Amino acid sequence: MRSDCGAIILRGLCLWMAVGIAAIFPGLGRAADESPSPEVAVRFFETSVRPILVEHCQKCHGAAKQWAGLRLDSREAILQGGESGPAAVVGQPQESRLILAIQHDPNASPMPPDAKLSDREIAVLTQWVEQGLAFPASAAVNDARKRDPNHWSFQPIVDPPVPPVQNADAAQSPLDRFILSKLEASHLQPTAPTDKRTLIRRVTFDLTGLPPTREAVTTFLADDHPDAYARLVEELLSSPAYGERWGRHWLDVARYADSNGLDENVAHGNAWRYRDYVISALNADEPFDQFLTEQLAGDLLPAEDDAQRQRQLIATGFLAIGPKVLAEVDAAKMQMDIVDEQLETVGRAFMGMTFGCCRCHDHKFDPISTANYYGLAGIFKSTRAMEHYKKVARWQELPLPSPETRAMLEAHAAQIAEKQLAIESLIASARETALKAKMDGAQATDIPESELPAAVQTQLAALRKDVAQLEKSPPEIPTAMAVQEDVVADVAIHIRGNPLKLGDVVPRHVPEVLSTGAQVQFDGTSSGRLKLAEWMTSPQHPLTARVLVNRVWRWHFGRGIVASTDNFGLLGDAPTHPELLDWLACRLLDSGWSIKSLHRLIVLSGTYQQSSQPTPELLSADPENHFWGRFPVRRLEAEAIRDALLTVSGQLDDSFGGSLLKVKNRAYFFDHTSKDLTDYNLPRRSVYLPIVRNNLYDVFQLLDYPDAAIPTGDRTTTTIAPQALMLLNSEFVTQISQALATRLLAEESDDRGRLQSLIEQVYAREPTEAELSQLLSFLQELQHELSQSSETTMAEGQQQAWACVAQVLLASNEFVYIQ
Amino acid sequence: MSEGVLLHRRNLLQRAAVGFGGLAAASLLADSAPSVAGAEPLTTPAPHFPARAKRVIFLFMKGGPSHLDTFDPKPLLTRDHGQPLPFAKPRVQFAPTGNLLKSPWQFQQYGDSGTWVSDLFPHLSQRVDDLCFIHSMHGTNPAHGGAVLKLHTGSDNFVRPSMGSWVSYGLGTDNQNLPAFITICPTLAHGGVNNWGSAFLPATYQGTPLGNASVPSDQARVKFISNTHLPSAVQRRQLEQLRLFNEAHLAHSGPEASLAARIEAFELAFRMQTEMPEAEDLTQESQATQALYGMDDPVTANFGRMCLMARRFAERGVRFIQVTHSDSKVQWDQHSDLENGHAKNAREVDRPIAGLLADLKARGLLEDTLVWWGGEFGRTPTVEGSNGRDHNPEGFTMWLAGGGVKAGYHHGATDDYGFYATHDKVHIHDLHATLLHLLGLDHERLTYRYAGRDFRLTDVEGDVVTPIIA
Repeated sequence: MRSDCGAIILRGLCLWMAVGIAAIFPGLGRAADESPSPEVAVRFFETSVRPILVEHCQKCHGAAKQWAGLRLDSREAILQGGESGPAAVVGQPQESRLILAIQHDPNASPMPPDAKLSDREIAVLTQWVEQGLAFPASAAVNDARKRDPNHWSFQPIVDPPVPPVQNADAAQSPLDRFILSKLEASHLQPTAPTDKRTLIRRVTFDLTGLPPTREAVTTFLADDHPDAYARLVEELLSSPAYGERWGRHWLDVARYADSNGLDENVAHGNAWRYRDYVISALNADEPFDQFLTEQLAGDLLPAEDDAQRQRQLIATGFLAIGPKVLAEVDAAKMQMDIVDEQLETVGRAFMGMTFGCCRCHDHKFDPISTANYYGLAGIFKSTRAMEHYKKVARWQELPLPSPETRAMLEAHAAQIAEKQLAIESLIASARETALKAKMDGAQATDIPESELPAAVQTQLAALRKDVAQLEKSPPEIPTAMAVQEDVVADVAIHIRGNPLKLGDVVPRHVPEVLSTGAQVQFDGTSSGRLKLAEWMTSPQHPLTARVLVNRVWRWHFGRGIVASTDNFGLLGDAPTHPELLDWLACRLLDSGWSIKSLHRLIVLSGTYQQSSQPTPELLSADPENHFWGRFPVRRLEAEAIRDALLTVSGQLDDSFGGSLLKVKNRAYFFDHTSKDLTDYNLPRRSVYLPIVRNNLYDVFQLLDYPDAAIPTGDRTTTTIAPQALMLLNSEFVTQISQALATRLLAEESDDRGRLQSLIEQVYAREPTEAELSQLLSFLQELQHELSQSSETTMAEGQQQAWACVAQVLLASNEFVYIQ
Repeated sequence: MSEGVLLHRRNLLQRAAVGFGGLAAASLLADSAPSVAGAEPLTTPAPHFPARAKRVIFLFMKGGPSHLDTFDPKPLLTRDHGQPLPFAKPRVQFAPTGNLLKSPWQFQQYGDSGTWVSDLFPHLSQRVDDLCFIHSMHGTNPAHGGAVLKLHTGSDNFVRPSMGSWVSYGLGTDNQNLPAFITICPTLAHGGVNNWGSAFLPATYQGTPLGNASVPSDQARVKFISNTHLPSAVQRRQLEQLRLFNEAHLAHSGPEASLAARIEAFELAFRMQTEMPEAEDLTQESQATQALYGMDDPVTANFGRMCLMARRFAERGVRFIQVTHSDSKVQWDQHSDLENGHAKNAREVDRPIAGLLADLKARGLLEDTLVWWGGEFGRTPTVEGSNGRDHNPEGFTMWLAGGGVKAGYHHGATDDYGFYATHDKVHIHDLHATLLHLLGLDHERLTYRYAGRDFRLTDVEGDVVTPIIA
């Protein structure tokens, strides 16, 4: 999501700002030094200016037509102007031909020629010229930028020199120098390091998705060694909780779900194997190039043993778990829909490319053609993901090889073979007998079965029934949603995406613009997925490493160096720190694609360890924190909030993996009764809860869990009242509060001591005196209030009061935000 | 940015929490109206152009009611009953069908408009002069899932924002204490949440479900709207304590928009707890009103309650209200036993819908409320099995009422047997474009940029059906 990757609150903010600015600087004709901030200017352009240009101007002065040699679809084009000279002078509306023309000034041709613009529209354009003629680059659709093969992200990654900085003491690591040099260029300094309590809470949530334990906090605070933090980071990276946290990040990108969603919402009963594979791969720090290759072509990789073969097959679930229109009646269309979904996901997840646009037409913005699309589509068309396409279609599941499953399969096959042998020998002997009776020199095979004795025929029928029965009930062996090779074939261009209108057949190939130098040759022996993976993981590939380091940066800091994590094309955002992005990509390649090494580089940097409280200078110069001069304050994600609630109430079950689905594989989550059979009331980590497309767990839904049908590298964070309702009223939070109350009441202590303990558990810090006295009087008031009713005993009232107090802390900002 | 602006912004942000409805995109498209510092947020933004309707009530008949047995009588179908269809069936069909099947119901003309209605709708037939029929609807997908998704989101093969989300994104809400988009007892099958989800639009714009199709409408509630174990006064005290903690935290951590907004969100939540149950409380309605909606008859009570709730939400500023009729067993999906199935369904909705129309009109609400009736497709004139009809997205009928459409009007037609839309065809995309138009939104300008391009409800399609606009 590009400009809207911030929250709704940011949308709200922009609106407010627009109103605020208008209020402070009402009317037109204001001085140039009162121009709005860039974001307000952009918003003003997008909401007020652009619609006018599109509706009234660009039909004759745009991409299609350039009357009087004039285009009004980019800032450059407007300033360059047409036959009569520049169309606008920045800041000088009354010197601008564009404004004179729309005012129907006698010194200019009246425009638009058919009807004068409204007064409001004229005022908007005048204000726009006056305030600087903001025209966001991404919205400027001029041919020079459009489909530009020289776009930054298509260029080779070059290892940049670490920049010099003035205040070398302020940079702990090379990474910090990239950040500091930009800050210094704007005469700014980074924020001071944060305190150790804040740091351990920040890094523990960040790397494991869980709050630090009280013991871990105590140990870390007491540890004065210079490497105390580095050792803490190592401990967290080697914790199994790390993979559960960072595996979940990848599952967002892999649009993981335990159900198909879309029209036929049936259970992905075996998708969990892919989820567990991802978690294990992250925990093992599997090199990312290998991780990528396994997901695209694990079935084609050599394997040393069954375990490896299983793992690699399960990995291809990445291609299989997308949403599919299973009741699509047009099988050809369904097949291409599935190919499209795979291609779009691969493009976005690994390369930040939106190939899907090219199914119907050449990409409007990126230098990717329809032929490129079908060149890649051939690879997936030659890959089998479906058992069949008949309505309701069935995805393919492949058996997981192991000695046990092989033995089961062999035993089953042997049973069938045995019966078939019995059938054959029964027929042969019956024919022999019949032949002897005939004695006319006929061949035994000439005797049809229907002429054999009735008893024999009955026996045969019974045997055949047995065979059919056996074939219908193969042994239940473990299977995975996985792909394998299909008939290898190149695909014809589908004109406007229509499977009924085919154009030229396009040989499989990779887009020229993403060339890595080496030719990628596809042949008739294989779909080419392995070659695709080799190409994507080539150190020369301009996108794969950049996209990954940017994702990791986004997950650490809440915003990518390229804010549009899933779009590195021309409509994506430009990197704020392009050299840093490339430097990180090079370090990733140096480390052999080790993601854990990348974490170390980032979390051990001074940039990561800064305080989140900005200096007034930073706040005014960089309110949106584009320079990373402070650590951003962030709300925890849905899973982390839920897991933290379970942890502080002492209920978290941290066991690994497996399926929690109650619905059978391929069974419907909902029939016409719309009854929900899924149970989320389990103390397992959130990553293991069922992810049901079309009916996400409501706690997740409210807390901005992404749509599990679409790859997402940049979750939004909204602040909406229904979230507050959930924290106030849901059974889940009530139960957590009660459990925490029970724990506190069981402590050998007094009220004051218990309150102290509560704050330490929930906030990982000491309470202040003011907090303690506030909570003490609040507690007493509640105890009094809640014990009054005749049905409640003192003990119940006390429990209830403690639960109320606990709930306040659990619902508070400090608990759900990372500083 | 000057310190003055910063301070101002901070003040504004402290009140920028977003309630159920969210702030509208179109508010940004509105005239840059002069405003005094510290004004309340623009929750009733100006649309692209003057709106004919302020809100929509969509009466969704899940399963696909037959146009041939309700509002689109075909004399030739009766005449040629049992004969083969004299032209080709569509290339793709959901299920095989046989020869022509005449309607088991009689049709009569009603009202000044002389509208033909079958005997299925004795109450609704009295209100035909308020209705605007589109007899030439057509869609793209003959399966429930695809067709329901197409109808609700404009796409049958991609996850896209639902039309109610687009409307709340475009227009925001008139009442921050209620959702802008409410869906009453929706079905969780066939697209489920996607049919009221916001997909890549911010979550603020998603629909708020009241119960679902498995829940009787008198038990349909917004999730988490009430606290079952704490007295309200205690919860109020809890919120006060929470505010103290959050404010101390904010003072300590420095200005941060989202922290300030979250403080406000809890206050808003508490207000919603009062407003939502009040809106849902039908006991405030007179006996006569309840009877008007059929709440006095067990057959019609369930759907009647939904329709009455819809009116109460409409009155309170909810922008898009969907009411789903989806029986847990039969729905409007009569692959067999057309006669009993459709008769049962029609009985359940006929009186409540007629009551809703009468009530809206009597209260002056029909003028700016667009009521919309229809299913995801119609049914085939050819028989499935011995007494059923298959899905038919090729031609079917929907009707609109109020909100700027012509009353007692008929637009478009199907062929002589009612298989294909033939005259003045209206695709689902065209209907979406028209709905947005009536709400004052230009379907080509209501866009959201996601993954590198601007998305619309109507994708690259959609023409406004101007002849039906009053």
